[in-house]
Amino acid sequence: MGASRGPRLSGLQKQVLSLYRGFLRAARCKSAADRRQIESIVSAEFRRNSNQVDRKNFLYIEYLLRRGKKQLEQLQSPNTESLSQTKQS
Amino acid sequence: MATGLIRRAISSSAAVAQPARLLTARFHASEAEAQKVEPKASANTDTKKFQIYRWNPDSPSKPELKEFEINLKECGPMVLDALIKIKSEIDPSLTFRRSCREGICGSCAMNIDGCNGLACLTKISSSGSASTITPLPHMFVIKDLVVDMTNFYNQYKSIEPWLKRKNPPPTPGKEIPQSKKDRAKLDGMYECILCACCSTSCPSYWWTSEAYLGPAALLHANSRDEYTKERLEAIDDEFKLYRCHTILNCARACPKGLNPGKQIINIKQLQLKR
Repeated sequence: MGASRGPRLSGLQKQVLSLYRGFLRAARCKSAADRRQIESIVSAEFRRNSNQVDRKNFLYIEYLLRRGKKQLEQLQSPNTESLSQTKQS
Repeated sequence: MATGLIRRAISSSAAVAQPARLLTARFHASEAEAQKVEPKASANTDTKKFQIYRWNPDSPSKPELKEFEINLKECGPMVLDALIKIKSEIDPSLTFRRSCREGICGSCAMNIDGCNGLACLTKISSSGSASTITPLPHMFVIKDLVVDMTNFYNQYKSIEPWLKRKNPPPTPGKEIPQSKKDRAKLDGMYECILCACCSTSCPSYWWTSEAYLGPAALLHANSRDEYTKERLEAIDDEFKLYRCHTILNCARACPKGLNPGKQIINIKQLQLKR
């Protein structure tokens, strides 16, 4: 997906953006250090996917949206503190 | 007149000769076919083809049906045995859920040759044609044969599948006794293993899976505790209960032989009485 934030965003793009906003809002409720960690991981993942994933590949984008929504629900629970990532070799 | 007779004689002999020629041609064909079929079912190899739905979310391709061939003489009788054999010998990336291998956990629910069922309870059909294995219909696919069951579980949670009491128990601190009649009400309900075969075979659930609760959840939405009125009111809207049009695909698909459709009819009758 190139930088197509022109005047008209497609429904799918709006969903992706609202998921991103949801993550940033959830990060605000955590502690300051955790918030930075969450924001860096989430923004890196969204940026990576926007460059790598073909914008016509609806099947994969919808799969990523569903996965992201579930991860957001987990993050929003007051018991979770932060996100972390392990590197895939 | 003589010429006519001769002509007829020639035509009749020609007619006789032709079928004889056709017969020999057919004979050759069946012989060749017999020779082709022979090696399939010999002493130690009996192969069967499986067409299995594959989709990998990490590779941006469309889902496809991949074909695998299995020797049935070296494999157990159930479809789950074939899947495990394919995974261990041919393609380790085949992904599916399984646990008990005896039809009690409900993990291996999938669509086999068009019918929903448990892979560990469905025998491999002995017909020569390929078996088609796909995930449960109209469910979001996570990978290969694994589907997303969260909506199904949320619907089950929403009907509050536990007993609720208004009055304190008759002898405080001790168990609440249950009459035989009350226990008989449970038969046909408690055996449910939440495999989702029934809900995913219901066309009404396919089209409105967010709003309609589905036969599995409604089977458990029984009203045998003291909160009957509240429970009936909770599902009394246009979508949660009344999307059921007694298609009764659920009773046909249930691998444990339960009849959710019948329970739904009972609930609808209770709604009328209320």
